[in-house]
Amino acid sequence: MWAAKASGQQHVTLPAFGVGLKVVRQGSDKGEVEDLTKEFLAESQEGLERMELCLTELEKRPDDDELVAEIFRAVHTIKGTTGFLGLGRVERLAHAGESLLGALRDHKLAVSTELISGLLELLDGLRRILQTIEETGTDGQRASDNDSELIARLEELKAGGVAANGAPASQDQAPFDKFGAGPSTGPGQVAVRPPQSSVQDAEQPALPVVASSVPVAAASSAQDKTLRIDVDVLNRMMNLVGELVLTRNQILRSTPGAKNFPELARRLDSVTAELRENVMQARMQPVGYLFRKFPRLVRDLAATCGRQVRIEFEGQDTGLDKSLIEAVRDPLTHAVRNAVDHGIEPAQERVEAGKPAEGVVRMRAYHQSGSVVLEVTDDGAGISTERVLLKAMERGLVTPEHAGSMTQREALQLIFVSGFSTAKQVTSISGRGMGMDVVRTNVEKVGGSVELESQPGSGTTVRMRVPLTLAIIPALVLESGGQNFALPQNSLVELVYVPHHEAGQSVERMGTTDLYRLREGLLPLVWLDRLLALEQGAHDETHDFYIAVVESEGCRFGLVVDDLKAPEEIVVKPLSSQLREIGVFSGATVLGNGTLALILDVAAIGARAGVRPATEEIHVVGADRAQADTAQRELAQIEMQSAMVIYETGSRVSANENEAGRMAMPLSAVERIETVPLREIEYAGGRAVLQYRGELIPLEDDGNVLHALAEAETNLSPGDAAKDGRTATVLICLRPEAHGVRRVGMVVRRVLDVSAGRLLAADAAASGDQLAMVKDRVTTVHRGFAQMAGPQTAILKEVA
Amino acid sequence: MRDAAEPRTDAGDTLSICSLRVGAALFGIDTSQIREVLGTACPQRVPLAPEYIAGVLPYRGEVLTTVCFRALLGLECWAGGNCVLVFDDEENEERFGLMVDGVGGVIAVHRDALEANPGGLDARSQELFDGAYKLPSGLMVRLDPQRLRPSRLAESGLFGGVSGSHGRVKQERQGEQG
Repeated sequence: MWAAKASGQQHVTLPAFGVGLKVVRQGSDKGEVEDLTKEFLAESQEGLERMELCLTELEKRPDDDELVAEIFRAVHTIKGTTGFLGLGRVERLAHAGESLLGALRDHKLAVSTELISGLLELLDGLRRILQTIEETGTDGQRASDNDSELIARLEELKAGGVAANGAPASQDQAPFDKFGAGPSTGPGQVAVRPPQSSVQDAEQPALPVVASSVPVAAASSAQDKTLRIDVDVLNRMMNLVGELVLTRNQILRSTPGAKNFPELARRLDSVTAELRENVMQARMQPVGYLFRKFPRLVRDLAATCGRQVRIEFEGQDTGLDKSLIEAVRDPLTHAVRNAVDHGIEPAQERVEAGKPAEGVVRMRAYHQSGSVVLEVTDDGAGISTERVLLKAMERGLVTPEHAGSMTQREALQLIFVSGFSTAKQVTSISGRGMGMDVVRTNVEKVGGSVELESQPGSGTTVRMRVPLTLAIIPALVLESGGQNFALPQNSLVELVYVPHHEAGQSVERMGTTDLYRLREGLLPLVWLDRLLALEQGAHDETHDFYIAVVESEGCRFGLVVDDLKAPEEIVVKPLSSQLREIGVFSGATVLGNGTLALILDVAAIGARAGVRPATEEIHVVGADRAQADTAQRELAQIEMQSAMVIYETGSRVSANENEAGRMAMPLSAVERIETVPLREIEYAGGRAVLQYRGELIPLEDDGNVLHALAEAETNLSPGDAAKDGRTATVLICLRPEAHGVRRVGMVVRRVLDVSAGRLLAADAAASGDQLAMVKDRVTTVHRGFAQMAGPQTAILKEVA
Repeated sequence: MRDAAEPRTDAGDTLSICSLRVGAALFGIDTSQIREVLGTACPQRVPLAPEYIAGVLPYRGEVLTTVCFRALLGLECWAGGNCVLVFDDEENEERFGLMVDGVGGVIAVHRDALEANPGGLDARSQELFDGAYKLPSGLMVRLDPQRLRPSRLAESGLFGGVSGSHGRVKQERQGEQG
């Protein structure tokens, strides 16, 4: 979406920009010319990036005229602008490229690998010059900066192609001669080779291509500091700022006691929220922007390593903050390089292993509960645990005894240790013993994490999880040792309250680990106040406490805290480097009451307390990597998804005791459980609705709970204090519908428990209601929600 | 540093110095190096952080790491109010706070009144102080905010580092007791 917009803009703005330049130059202000050059650099680099993408696309779809036109435009624009700026060198090179592309556009040439390679060289040539301009301010007219060879090669390609097509070559040659691009710039240096030799010449594209991969990484520094924002977004922001100023003026004139003060405060609230959203939106960029350079990278790498590799993308629209896009650029490059160089096997090996000759590198991006996940998956040989361990022992990173007791997961983690590389041969691309440790350091620098999964024979996945640092995340504020902390909701699984009379006997010990029996499993406990060396609350038998069951990176443990405060949407602020070093805090936030709270990093807390991930290994024999992946993901979800919220519906006054019975709802369908004051429930057209976070959601009240509550209310005397305090419990649910999901509120009498449950096969006798076995009792699952737990049940049966 | 901080406002050889009180001693910081004086503040403690980190404060949309000057001097914590000054951390492009007992007035001091750190200072003082002004009323120890940057304090290793490993040991020990 962005690319399309940008290209449209570029086409329109640049000629205008050129005209403007002429005027400016009459005034001849050096600073202004510098500004224009800077602008030119940013725009050109953007253009080249698009061109790169189009070129690799063109190789796959040689007949696409649109792509050729797009590439032509990019080069043409650069040529046009450089003319005004007096950058002769770029102009000459761009011109040579343009005339080659012109021939291609007019179908005088056919797309071939040599042609693409030649054009990519042109691209690198242009990039090199742009870099020189950025560094020195001129396009480097020194003798060493000579492009005549490249220009000659482009000419050859054109002449060769045109001659082969039988088109009249002399006619097209004319513009070249006029500009004197080749011979006149470097007299005596260019031997204009006869067209026949071009075929041999082009047969070795690998070398120049590899040589060019360095400037690719170094380029685009001017562009990193700028951001394209939709004018509409900017206008909206300006409007909101105007609104904010108006509101401020009114508030300054008002007093807290004034009649309109609450209204002003509300307006301030909504304007702030909207402005915040807009700014965030402006900073968000689709990761597709980041993916753009990879087709080229993979193409070049594959050529150098002699592999056949295809690259696939998924989730390019996933938004990621601008600052994070920069932060994950290098780690992603490392991961892709590793995948092509070490992951994908040579074609022959692949065929022998029963895989298609062409390997696939898949880059995926998606949002997962408040963080962005970037995956690089290859379907190559996978990582051999034995070799990793062998190498680690060789390097002295682990002792043989230790290695023997390591799980597969632990062994794979060794790859992240500095100075580790498993490549049999050190190649020029990767395998210098740096790579994965750099990936990890860089991702962790922005508060992210890296995971590695590998199945020998079927491939490897590098998964980077980056937080939305600037984002506003839902968190639960809790208290421990007299201090407030924020726990991100995304790592929170459930909360357990341990009343004081149970506190003594509910915690059991095994070795030095405290354990809590949570339903059928044993949950390791981590006492937050002890871990953080805080003043300890009295955790004796007379004191109640809460257990926040958290999960991160495969570890599940209970974090023991003194008290729970309100859930809040918090703005994550980074800590200074000193405090980041402590490791257990991922940031800080200002709470609603103006105080600061530190944000807990659940993974780090688990690691510090020594909680090990539960080792679940799945052995899939001969299965496709993707399949194994899904299976694993789904297996992980079983526990979560088949968890059921059990609640009581219907009213206490109901005559039929069965009707006021237990019902269950898949936990995954329940977003929140809210206690809503009765007076906040409104009626529209006879139906109960609730204003919930700026959204109007319908309420379903199958058991007439609201009616019963209202009746109970009328029975109270008008002045009764309890009248205003009446509340209803509402489950905010996501109901699956034909087009995605819809949010509905479910009024229930009370929530009983959350427990693991299993759907039972639909039974005709049960009048179509879906039943589930929860806590050894048959419970009706709320209509329309069974499918939220549906797909998992099938797997559950398989596994069983 | 000292030369760079030459105040533009002072005509001749005088510097304007902001005086600070910590315990019984008087300290001074060049006013041009101070970004802001916050007045009394109550930083949120950060568990496991080094002793000399008083905590974090909200400051203009950022989280300000605040250094406790009393802790650096090895003094006991003092309940009698405080004052936080904000400085730029030039190296890390961050800001940090310094918590002192109180801020006095701005004094004009002659450049020549500055004496470099004498040789007999202990390593900690040598690290923290930046000479002293010989005022008629007594000595005013000059401080250079860049020497008080949290990152530099951590690097020097003189004031105790991150107490993370310490905390862990403690946790284990308690675990055994419980």
